[in-house]
Amino acid sequence: MFVEVLWLWAGLAAYAIATYYAFRSVAQYRDAATGMTSEIVSHSGEKRVLFFMMAGVVLLTICMIVRWLRIDHGPFVDLFELLISQLWSLGLIYAVSYWRFPLLRPTAVIVLPMLWIPGLWVLTLEVSSIPNPPTYFNDWKWAHVGFGKFFLAFCLIGTGLAGVIFARMHPYFARSFQFMPTDKVLDNYAWRFMLLALVFESLMLIAGAVWAQDAWGRYWAWDALETSAFLNWLLLGAAIHARFTYNISVRTGAILIVLVFVFAFITYFGIPFYSGAAHKGVI
Amino acid sequence: MVKNNVFYSLGSPRLAMVGMAALAIGAVLSYGNPDTVSIWVLILPLLFLAVNLLMAILTNPRIYKRHGLLLFHVGLLSIVILSAIGRLTHFEADVEMVRDTVFDSTEVLRAKAGIWHDGTLAEVQFQQGHYTVDYSPGLVRGKTKSYITVFDPSGVATQKIVGDDTPLVLEGYRFYTSFNKGFAPILTWQPADGGEPLTGAIPMPSYPLFEYKQDNQWAPPDSEQIDFWLRLDTGLTEDEAWTLDGRHAQGILVVKSGDQRVELRPGESTKLPGGVLVYEQLTTWLGYKIFYDPTLFWLFIASVLTVVGMTAHFWRKITLDIQDQVHYKQKKMRIQSAVPGSRERA
Ligand code: HEM
Repeated sequence: MFVEVLWLWAGLAAYAIATYYAFRSVAQYRDAATGMTSEIVSHSGEKRVLFFMMAGVVLLTICMIVRWLRIDHGPFVDLFELLISQLWSLGLIYAVSYWRFPLLRPTAVIVLPMLWIPGLWVLTLEVSSIPNPPTYFNDWKWAHVGFGKFFLAFCLIGTGLAGVIFARMHPYFARSFQFMPTDKVLDNYAWRFMLLALVFESLMLIAGAVWAQDAWGRYWAWDALETSAFLNWLLLGAAIHARFTYNISVRTGAILIVLVFVFAFITYFGIPFYSGAAHKGVI
Repeated sequence: MVKNNVFYSLGSPRLAMVGMAALAIGAVLSYGNPDTVSIWVLILPLLFLAVNLLMAILTNPRIYKRHGLLLFHVGLLSIVILSAIGRLTHFEADVEMVRDTVFDSTEVLRAKAGIWHDGTLAEVQFQQGHYTVDYSPGLVRGKTKSYITVFDPSGVATQKIVGDDTPLVLEGYRFYTSFNKGFAPILTWQPADGGEPLTGAIPMPSYPLFEYKQDNQWAPPDSEQIDFWLRLDTGLTEDEAWTLDGRHAQGILVVKSGDQRVELRPGESTKLPGGVLVYEQLTTWLGYKIFYDPTLFWLFIASVLTVVGMTAHFWRKITLDIQDQVHYKQKKMRIQSAVPGSRERA
């Protein structure tokens, strides 16, 4: 077994503990809201969530460095390393936002379980490695991948807030999120993150096109990944038009946000591994 | 501007949504660039969106009064227009360069040019040198390095190494090395009737892709067809890392003409019915993809400005409203102190 797998497990374990504390902390709010507890709601739960998320990020960083040194290239090529890299960046960007915007904190009970989709998936994969394709030494790769990470993370945060809006439709869950501002305010926040997501997705597409021009001699060729990413960009643009130009309801808005996120998730983890040729070197 | 005139209606964001939906359908249909799908599935929605966007920019104060949003939408429009101009002026082709030969624009293959293309491919001058390609175990292709000599108009030569994502750029034409490359024996044909001798290369199929069928034919003028088969020794190893380097390769040329079959090493010759065939030496050829689009730079600038405009517009929206945060904290504190039995009450 490769050493990086141990670090991966450690990182996921830290995320698991963070998830546990996130639920505890929200349960505490619910109890407080319904008068079931006599304790003062403290911030210590949230601090633990943050601590374990950051611990997970540090452990995954080590995991990636160990692997990098072993196989001599960064986490850009096969599904195993791409999933770890996303777990790392989504965790990091979410943790920083969690720390800076206290309003987001209760969304951890939605966001962290979503991280378990790549989290469990990566555990099912065989650990192997593919050599770096010849065009992956290009510096635009960093810009492209980096912008993409922010795009997905901001979609994830938007989805966390949309998730709270959905959860509050049920009285039982509504109590857990009583401390949060009204749906209208959450909706405002969520769409701000979606606006940021659009900026970063646009940057990602530009950097990707420049890279494609260098790598394959064309900036756009409607390959599977390009087509999917472009549709995603259009969907987000259309959703933003719908949200800011027409008075769509908060719930419709939340549905749109989730759709954009699901589409992005499929673009990232479905398309490149479904279609053999997309974005891979040719022999 | 009057709100209900026809220009205003043409610029309605509702139509923009229709246009985006049509473009999305066009994009799905264009997936993989199939030959059966007309380019119009993209052009029509883009034209529609361009008109819609132009009208919105001109008539809708919600765009033209907000500078960031204006820059963003003008940027979008420029991207659409520039990419259309790009398609009309572009040029694409392939070329196979034999080592030590100079580029000749009349020898390009599969050329496709937009109707407004007026580049100066004929003025491109460079000479192909040798090349190397690294392979990882399992014959997974790594880096290609192609050694080029470029001549400036005064004839001064400069050496360059290009390959993969580093194209050779001359006269605005970008030459990308392709995975298509191989060997070529150089032959001289001396006709029996004493005519002018002919020297040229017979390119063999791509290597190592078609390692198992390195063959080709050629018919000398007024003579029977000759079949060639090249038996190569390149040091190729499937299970270990290997570098393809034509300078270290050897090849025995099997020549078949009628019932005659001979094996030649470089420097050897054979007498055939119509003349003498000399196998001068083994050399290599390398395929390039040529791409030309004068809008590339401007497309990049327009895209960056588009994002700058978008970011400027979002800047205020995104600075999180302090009011919301305060409201959130106060409410939380109120609930905390309202909990029965909490310390404040006791
Ligand atoms: C092609 C035709 C288009 C037209 C006619 C159009 C029109 C408009 C108009 C009128 C607004 C102002 C809306 C308002 O503030 O109420 C707007 C805003 C906006 N548009 Fe477009 N647009 C087009 C294309 C696009 C595309 C392709 C995208 C991105 C994918 C896009 C993204 C945006 C964004 C992000 C806003 C800002 C929303 C806000 O912050 O209020 N637009 N557009």
